[in-house]
Amino acid sequence: MSTELKPHAIGQPLSRVDGRLKVTGAARYPAEFRPPNLACGFLVGSTIAKGAIRSIDVTTAEKAPGVLAVLTHQNVPKLTEPPNAKDSGGIRIEERIPFSDAKINYAGQYIAVIVATTFEEARYAAGLLRVDYEVERFALTKEDAPDTAKQPEESIGEKLQQRKGEIAAALAKPDLVKIEETYSTPTETHNPMECSATIAEWPDAQHLVLYDATQYVKGAQAVVAQAFNLPRENVRIICPFVGGAFGCKGPVWPHTIAAAMAALVVKRPVRIEVTRQLMFSGTGHRPPTFQTIALAASRDGKLQAIRHKSEMLTSPVGAWVEACGIGSTNVLYDAPAIEFSHTVYTVNVSQPSFMRAPGECPGTYAAECAMDELAYALGMDPLQLRLVNDSPNHPLKGVPWSTKHLRECYEVGAERFGWNKRQHAPGSMKDGRLSIGWGMATATYPAKKWDADVHIQLHAGGKTIVKCASHDLGTGAYTAFTQISADAIGVPVEDVVFELGSSDFPYGPVAGGSNSTATVGSAIVAAAQKLHEKLAGLALADKESPLAGAEAKKIALVGARRLGDGSKSVSFDDILHGAGLKSIEAQGGIKEEENKKLGFQSFGAHFCEVNVDPELLSVRVSRFVSVMDCGRVINPKTGGSQILGGVVMGIGMALEEHTVYDRQTGLPATRNLADYHVPVNADIPAIEVHFVGEPDFAFNPMGSRGMGEIGITGAAAAVANAVFHATGKRVRDLPITLDKLLV
Amino acid sequence: MQYEAYAIDTAPGRGRPEAAQKIDIKLRINGSEHALAVDSRTTLLDALRDRLGLTGSKKGCDHGQCGACTVLVNGRRINSCLTLAAMHEGDEITTIEGLAQDSALHSVQLAFIEHDAFQCGYCTSGQICSAVALLKEDHARTDDEIREWMSGNLCRCGAYTNIVAAIREAREKKAAAL
Ligand code: FES
Ligand code: FES
Repeated sequence: MSTELKPHAIGQPLSRVDGRLKVTGAARYPAEFRPPNLACGFLVGSTIAKGAIRSIDVTTAEKAPGVLAVLTHQNVPKLTEPPNAKDSGGIRIEERIPFSDAKINYAGQYIAVIVATTFEEARYAAGLLRVDYEVERFALTKEDAPDTAKQPEESIGEKLQQRKGEIAAALAKPDLVKIEETYSTPTETHNPMECSATIAEWPDAQHLVLYDATQYVKGAQAVVAQAFNLPRENVRIICPFVGGAFGCKGPVWPHTIAAAMAALVVKRPVRIEVTRQLMFSGTGHRPPTFQTIALAASRDGKLQAIRHKSEMLTSPVGAWVEACGIGSTNVLYDAPAIEFSHTVYTVNVSQPSFMRAPGECPGTYAAECAMDELAYALGMDPLQLRLVNDSPNHPLKGVPWSTKHLRECYEVGAERFGWNKRQHAPGSMKDGRLSIGWGMATATYPAKKWDADVHIQLHAGGKTIVKCASHDLGTGAYTAFTQISADAIGVPVEDVVFELGSSDFPYGPVAGGSNSTATVGSAIVAAAQKLHEKLAGLALADKESPLAGAEAKKIALVGARRLGDGSKSVSFDDILHGAGLKSIEAQGGIKEEENKKLGFQSFGAHFCEVNVDPELLSVRVSRFVSVMDCGRVINPKTGGSQILGGVVMGIGMALEEHTVYDRQTGLPATRNLADYHVPVNADIPAIEVHFVGEPDFAFNPMGSRGMGEIGITGAAAAVANAVFHATGKRVRDLPITLDKLLV
Repeated sequence: MQYEAYAIDTAPGRGRPEAAQKIDIKLRINGSEHALAVDSRTTLLDALRDRLGLTGSKKGCDHGQCGACTVLVNGRRINSCLTLAAMHEGDEITTIEGLAQDSALHSVQLAFIEHDAFQCGYCTSGQICSAVALLKEDHARTDDEIREWMSGNLCRCGAYTNIVAAIREAREKKAAAL
């Protein structure tokens, strides 16, 4: 046993604790569990976008070799879910239960699942179905569905229509420099490398086990228990590793319910893996957005009015608003008059959902491009315009930020990038025959923290096992939680075993909104305090203990595995020995309460260089510098990777990603990884990431704010602004492909 | 209206079910031989994952578009989802599970951990197998060459810059060892 405390495991660039499992192929993802007698389910999607199934002929498919069952709306087990099932506490964003009726709401909607003994047999039989549809006219765009426009008041607790000051009057004031432009972003699809998958197993009629690729084990447990009308504790969700998610594995999607139905019918475990093609309709996407932004500033660059009108699409089977104004216009810059609004249209596409920085990502793209346009209208350096408008307060709430080091982000970034060598005029910088463009943008993301509980079991002279029903999506949570546990409990980092990814563990929230480190970290600290209190109690009760007779209040952690009162101390192991115990357990947690006096927000700055071939109009990102203020960084290695990943996805958003829908069928036409372009290695240059700032102790005991999402915010704007600087062409419709630069 | 429903993107069932056959094959994987009866339609990837419990090779697309399933066949990197298991009798197949010698990790595996060249880990087996072959091909002489020749392996987590750094280090170590 090592008694040497590594005093600050937090802040060290520890390599991932699960690294060895991942580089040897030993990390087990949900679809890789093998309960005995496992059958395979294959999903069949609708090829029409709206209408109804008149009939499905399953006779040939049912007779195909190996087929155990063909489930359709005609024969699936009817669920007896209680009326409040949608409010289970988990996330059922596509509200409709699969196969619940003959109605078709979007192309790709599951109409059948074939269950067979092997994958090959199930896939083959899927092609043998014959379906007769009643086809109706469908809508794909907002122009197709003008009558469906709605302006909802709220979405996930955020007010969607807000204003401060008199916007119309402010915009009409003379002597202001104004711009007003519309920016659009296309449908984008998460496409984590691991497709969604569920293995469902019913040990008996009342108990269900799901190996499910999810970023919310407790949520999946709640949703599935409600849907099947089971006590929550009768449903177990297991998911030790997630092969990427970016939001798409937060809700319970229809394939998970379908797997549980199928296993019930064939009375054996069933695995359903969503194919890559069906990932485009079955597990959410970022809906397209259309954002009109008006900015007015005085000659010195000070913003006087900001108006941000957003429109976006949603599906007929659930409510989702891509809230572009939230997390961009309400937090970026202050002005006497600010207004934002959201209008949502319903069309026949699959259910949109949260994708990395939902709302903030398209919102900061549009807002930060608009700022660049304003800078050019003012004849001012784009960075200078940001510096002029850096504000100490939350623009709408008026409260101060807990800590904000955006200015430092700008300055360090500009310095690393060499921004002062930038020539302002578009098209003025060249590298040989290539046009060079330098663009920048602000990044921002709110710091969130929710409820969690953590259980600690400390073994005398051995390992400390720490558990929470949390998740590691590749975010480095296993490692960060291990480091926080080590410091909070007072044990060496190598003695900590952190376990997550099971609904058997104490409550952890969805791994979303960049909350996990703050939430679970705070719960670890709370549980560690409980553990120390228990240990102190034992020491005080032990007459032989050096701490016998000490003042309980004064006892605290004084070193590795040691409690003391300032003059005397004793090791955890001696305390346990004195009490005749081999181990000790404690549980603690946090309940989130809103802080009305402070705003918690991370900020950052992106600097991007592109080069554009003047003849081919091909755009390449050649350099990228990102500087982030996320409070204290628990692990600069894995934290840096989070920012890198966000930037790469932002480059993809700017230049490549686009889920195109086929007007004939309503299906995503780009439904595979050859047609839906994500950045490949050759698309990505060296990216520099730096962290600045100070620990945010008003936010949590670690002083840290989340990092999963901030990297993508503003990143696409930095690229778009660089393309403008290189070419003089302002493409306001993502992705910026060369056809748009040609016109 | 009568539609041919299809499981999106599987070929509509025009083939005959009888066409599927069980075939007895022997596969040599990571130095040991495995005898198994496979459906003739079984890809090498599905044989590894579903029949042999070698789930280190990943399925990211099943269409040869992502590289998550990359394995080495006679030292060459291939997409194991694009080839049938029955075609590989007599081949020497190496998967991610076969790269470490006893418990000592391969230099590429070590460099991936050191440089944080992965996040979720789902593309990682394919990246590492691909990188091992790349070094053998001598296609890792510059960073740009690494970027180009590793572009068949997608990483949606965006670990590319760290992947390049890891491969660069493995190359330098290899050169130093010569
Ligand atoms: S799974 Fe083989 S290339 Fe994607
Ligand atoms: S590490 Fe997640 S896809 Fe590469």
